[in-house]
Amino acid sequence: MASPCEVLVDTDDEPTARAALDAARGEALRIEHKFSRYRSDNVIDRINHSAGKPVEVDEELAGLLDYAATCHEISGGRFDITSGVLRRVWTFDGREHTPDPAALAAALALVGWTRVSWRDRTLTLPAGMEVDLGGLGKEYAVDRAATRIAEVTASAFLVNFGGDLFASHLRRAERPWLIGVENPATPASGHLGRLQLARGALATSGDARRFVLVRGRRLGHILDPRTGWPVEGAPRSVTVMAATCTEAGTLATLAILRGGDAARFLEEQGVQHWLLE
Amino acid sequence: MRTWRRIFVALVLLAGIGIPGCATVHPWDRDLMAKPTMRFVPVPHEMAVDDHIYFSKEGSTGGMDAAGGGCGCN
Amino acid sequence: MRVQLASPSPASSVRQRLGAAACLLLAGSMPAAAQTQLAPGWQLETTGLFYGEQLRAKVVEPTGRLTRQFANGRALSLGLAVDAITGASPTGGLPTGQVQTTTSSSGRSSTTTADAVPTHPFQDLRYAADLGWVEPLGSLVSASTSAHFSQEKDYASIGGGLKTSVDVLNRLVTLTAGAGYNRDRVFPTGGTAVGLAPDDTPRIPGDNPKEVRTGLVGISRVVSRRWLLGATGSQTRETGYLTDPYKIISLTDPETQLPVAQVNEKRPSERLRDDVLASSVYHFEQDIFYMNYRYYWDDWGVRSHTLDMKVRHDLSSESWVQPHVRLYAQSPASFFVFGLTQGRPLPEFASADERLGPLRTATFGATYGFRVPGHRGEFTLRGEYMYQWLVGRPPTAIASSTNTPAGDDSGGGGQHLGTNIGTILIGYTVPF
Repeated sequence: MASPCEVLVDTDDEPTARAALDAARGEALRIEHKFSRYRSDNVIDRINHSAGKPVEVDEELAGLLDYAATCHEISGGRFDITSGVLRRVWTFDGREHTPDPAALAAALALVGWTRVSWRDRTLTLPAGMEVDLGGLGKEYAVDRAATRIAEVTASAFLVNFGGDLFASHLRRAERPWLIGVENPATPASGHLGRLQLARGALATSGDARRFVLVRGRRLGHILDPRTGWPVEGAPRSVTVMAATCTEAGTLATLAILRGGDAARFLEEQGVQHWLLE
Repeated sequence: MRTWRRIFVALVLLAGIGIPGCATVHPWDRDLMAKPTMRFVPVPHEMAVDDHIYFSKEGSTGGMDAAGGGCGCN
Repeated sequence: MRVQLASPSPASSVRQRLGAAACLLLAGSMPAAAQTQLAPGWQLETTGLFYGEQLRAKVVEPTGRLTRQFANGRALSLGLAVDAITGASPTGGLPTGQVQTTTSSSGRSSTTTADAVPTHPFQDLRYAADLGWVEPLGSLVSASTSAHFSQEKDYASIGGGLKTSVDVLNRLVTLTAGAGYNRDRVFPTGGTAVGLAPDDTPRIPGDNPKEVRTGLVGISRVVSRRWLLGATGSQTRETGYLTDPYKIISLTDPETQLPVAQVNEKRPSERLRDDVLASSVYHFEQDIFYMNYRYYWDDWGVRSHTLDMKVRHDLSSESWVQPHVRLYAQSPASFFVFGLTQGRPLPEFASADERLGPLRTATFGATYGFRVPGHRGEFTLRGEYMYQWLVGRPPTAIASSTNTPAGDDSGGGGQHLGTNIGTILIGYTVPF
């Protein structure tokens, strides 16, 4: 997951808490093992080296691909799990870089969900293209871990993988979970917001740590797959609340992909959100 | 006697703000303070009732509220 | 920087489709909509007080308060209370060695025996209502205003207040300032008594106005993870009719020391009251300890110390108990007397009202709070015992009742004719 993961369980019974933690960790490791593009022994690696040949996938990956397809459609093509190849063209280390136009054009030729054939549980990727589930993986892992924990305990719990979290229900004595929305400009103090969460999920998307300077202008690391460039005018940080972490994360990402329209998009969707421009 | 009182008041008020060198309380140490019972009046409706009872039975006024109600009882 | 918190509105198609897609992906294992606790909501608090003084006043007081929280921290609250008071209240007269009859202002009379403190019966119904509004001004400042109104048979009060508080030093310190104004009318049954005139002097009809102005400042500080400290200071100025219209003072015969006549009491028409309050809340491993100390003084000469301590102990995650002790000691007003001697010149002001005298109160009680599992409301049940007594009260038929203010314990060795008081308070709070 590349970030600290924690599970909070509202119980006095240590074995229960351990069982919950083990369930969550097991699920997180399983998902990372199965869907990480950094491994060479999983289905994603097989797909990314399939050289144009069809690959049949299992039910779980099929579900994720269906979801990604829906997101692609809803966002008018901005959300695209094949856009990972563009990372070779950009270095987000906070320094001044300008991408080579030829390299960018070559990479763009390998981006586009519309070029992929996804049907009957079979995925056919043209040679050179890749799928990257990084934009979905963490939030999906939160939701699945929550399901696993709910199987071992009825106590209230909160799963937080690197800032994307889900709370199952109110703690004992009707007490809510107290959540602070970090202000990326001042992480040590001064929250953007505080809320008392009864149940639900929060996910945050932003460029707080990874960005690049192009001709002095700061650009975030979220790329618009239609142009190959970072999204213009995107807020530095978006936090969204939704019923599931997957939904919250997707809405946050979709908002950032809208760039300067992020605020209006989130208001239209009628979700509780916090924005930092 | 008046000076004594003023000094007392000043000391009491300063005690709140001016304990210098008191370590700051980090955000992760604010867990207990977030509990609803960690405030000066844990059960608000009891304070309202008590204010009224003691206001009626004694000669002093309460220290809590600037805008208490009136009654013909002190 | 722009920060927004939007209230949910009818879902648009993107969100709906996303929600459906997520549901499908997660195989329907996730359900209910996300919910924050402080999303706009209501809270209802009701209480019922049963108050009884031994052989004296009995009060039943139900109250209700409805609060509505809005999304951005604003809140509106409405409170209503009704006091039904019956029983007897001390007149200020001295106990005698013989049967004594008192005529009350409403024409009823009561008879007291030898060493009982004379009282007169009364009955009253008081209605009170208040309205409050809280408005956050940014994330560190909050302001609140309130208005209140009360009405009883012989007293009406209307007033309002403002309070504002600011969080500073990274929310470790909170500063508060407030002010209040009340305008009251006193219209005693039977008319207003003429101060220091014999109690059968014809009374004056009409209203008597009274104004009360209050200001307060306060500071509270989070000292450590477990400890919260606070201090408040306030000053109140009262002007107008401040005398109690039904209290009298006994005139004693200089030789027999027995009360032979009565005059109405009289108090100044201005009073300046100050107090400082120091509070502490400390969280031990499991229990929380609350302590308050208040020092009060005013320009009538009354000074008092109040020490109030409570411990909150959780019995389980759904129930708790909170024992409570309160100790109070008051020194009398400069014009307080137990009685006056007949034939001597009358002082400018005098009152035998025990509430202005050398009073002590001790309270012991406990509250039990619990929730019914599955229900969001919380019940509280409190029982308290109070004992109140005057120090230095002259024993029957022996006078230290010269025209010197009491509180002078050297004479007579007073009897502590104390009052036993018991209260039961039930409460119920529920959000919805």
